[in-house]
Amino acid sequence: MAHFLPFIDTRPSSGPPAPPPEAQPEPSFPLTKSINACPKSALLVENDSSLLHILRRSLTDEGYAVRTAANSEEGLRLYRDCAPFNVVLIDYFVPQTNEIEIDHLAELQTNGTALAMAIRKIDPSQEMIIAALDFRNAGEVPRPRELIHIPLLIEIFKLRSLLEKIEVDRAIKALTPAELLRLRQFADFRVRGLGRAARGRTGEDLLGEALLRTLIGAEAAQKGRHWNKNVDFVLHLTGAMQSISSYWKRQFDAAVQRKETEAYLTPALPIHDAEGQEHSPLDNLVSGDAAADQRLIEKDEEDRVLTIFKDDPKAIEVLHGLLDGLKKNEIKSKYGFDEKQYAAAVKRIRVTLLDRRNSGGRDEKHDR
Amino acid sequence: MNQLADSVLGLSDEAICAETRDVGADPEQEAERTRLVLRQASKILGDANERVANLGHTISLNDWVRGKRSYYNHCLDCGSFVSFTTAAGELEGDALERLCPASNRHQIRRQEVSRE
Repeated sequence: MAHFLPFIDTRPSSGPPAPPPEAQPEPSFPLTKSINACPKSALLVENDSSLLHILRRSLTDEGYAVRTAANSEEGLRLYRDCAPFNVVLIDYFVPQTNEIEIDHLAELQTNGTALAMAIRKIDPSQEMIIAALDFRNAGEVPRPRELIHIPLLIEIFKLRSLLEKIEVDRAIKALTPAELLRLRQFADFRVRGLGRAARGRTGEDLLGEALLRTLIGAEAAQKGRHWNKNVDFVLHLTGAMQSISSYWKRQFDAAVQRKETEAYLTPALPIHDAEGQEHSPLDNLVSGDAAADQRLIEKDEEDRVLTIFKDDPKAIEVLHGLLDGLKKNEIKSKYGFDEKQYAAAVKRIRVTLLDRRNSGGRDEKHDR
Repeated sequence: MNQLADSVLGLSDEAICAETRDVGADPEQEAERTRLVLRQASKILGDANERVANLGHTISLNDWVRGKRSYYNHCLDCGSFVSFTTAAGELEGDALERLCPASNRHQIRRQEVSRE
C-alpha cells in the first residue's frame, strides 16, 4: 500500500532545542552500503543536497541501503534500473526538467506526485512515502543545518512511524500459515484464560490490539509496543498479547474492587419493590472481599472448562496441574505421566477447546 | 490457560496445521483469516491518519491515546477530534467532517506549485 501524505507537520513540537548552526560541525556521512549487502533498500528523491544527505544517513541508520536522485527523471530512471525497493521516499516538491511519461501529468499537483504515479504504474504494490518536507513557510521550516541531530530529524518528519508501518505490513505479508495459526491460538487461549475479565473480547480483538500498539509505539515506547527488529515478529506479537491481556485482567480486578467500595459506601436506605417488600441496597453486594469474589469468578471459569473434560481423567489431571500453576515436569511427576501421555493430554485439551471455539461455544454453553 | 497458550508456541508447523485440521477447519483459510485481522488493524490506523491529513489536519502519528474501546487523537492546529473503534474499525470525530481552518496555507502552496 502506498502512503500518500499531502503534508507532514515540520514544526519541531518537542525534543531538545536545535543548536545554533555555527556550533554544529558538518557531519561526515558514511558511505552508503551496497544495495546487495543490505536486507532493506530505499530510493530517496530529494533535490536539496543537505537535506538529501541527512535523510540518506537517517535511512542508512535504519538499516536501509539507499539510492538517491536529485530530480524526478533521475528518480524514475533509477527506479526502472534498480526496482523494487522496500520504500521510495519522494519530496512532494522535487523538481523535474522534462515531463515524466505518464498520461495525466496535467492533473497532478506536484512533480513528486507525478513521479509517484509513474512508479505506481510500473509497480502498483511499491511502498512509497511522499513528504512535503518544506511545506510550512520559510520561517517555520527547520533548515538542514539545524537538523543535524538525526533522531530529532526523524521525530519531526515522522519518518520512523511510516517506515515502521511499511515494515510491519511486510512482516504480516511474510507470516507463514503455521505462524498465523500459532498467533491465533495463542490469542484465543490468552483471552479464554481471562474468563469474565475478557469482557466479551475475542482472540481477534487481542491480536488486532497487539498490532495497533506496535504501530503506535513506533516512536514512543511508553505509549505502545515498539517492535525491536532483532526480535522475531511472531515473538513480538505474542509478547504484546501477553502484556495486553495481563493489563485487561488488572483493569477488571480494579473495576471489581471499585464497584464493591462504591457499594459499601452506599447508605443502607431501604428500597421498596413493586409488591411493597422492603430491601436493603446491601442485598445486591456481591461480596465484601474483592479477592474472594475474584476467586469465585475464576472458579466458575475453571469449573466450566473442567466440565468439558469430565470424561477424560488424564486431561482433568493436567488441567488441575495447570490451574494450580504447576510446571510441565511437576505435573508429570505428580500424576505419573510420561512425556507421551502428557503431550497427548495437552493436545486433547487444545484441540477440544479449539473445536468449541469453532463451533461458537454451543456445546460449552450447553455444558454450563 | 496461559500455559496452554505458551504450549502453542512450541508446536511444529506440521503439528499446528494438523491440530487445525483435526477440528475440521482448513489451516490455510484459518491462517488467511488471521492475516486479515492483522491487516485490518494496520489499515484502520492508516485510514484514520490519511483521512484527517486529507482534510488539512495535523495529528501526531504517535499520539493516539487508548480509550476503553477506541483510540483518540486531535488536530494540533484546530483541536478537532478523531477516533476509531478497534473492534468495528469505525472512524468518528469532527476532524473527519470539516477542513482544518489552519490548512489555508497548504491550499495556497498547492495552487502555487500547480502553476509552476
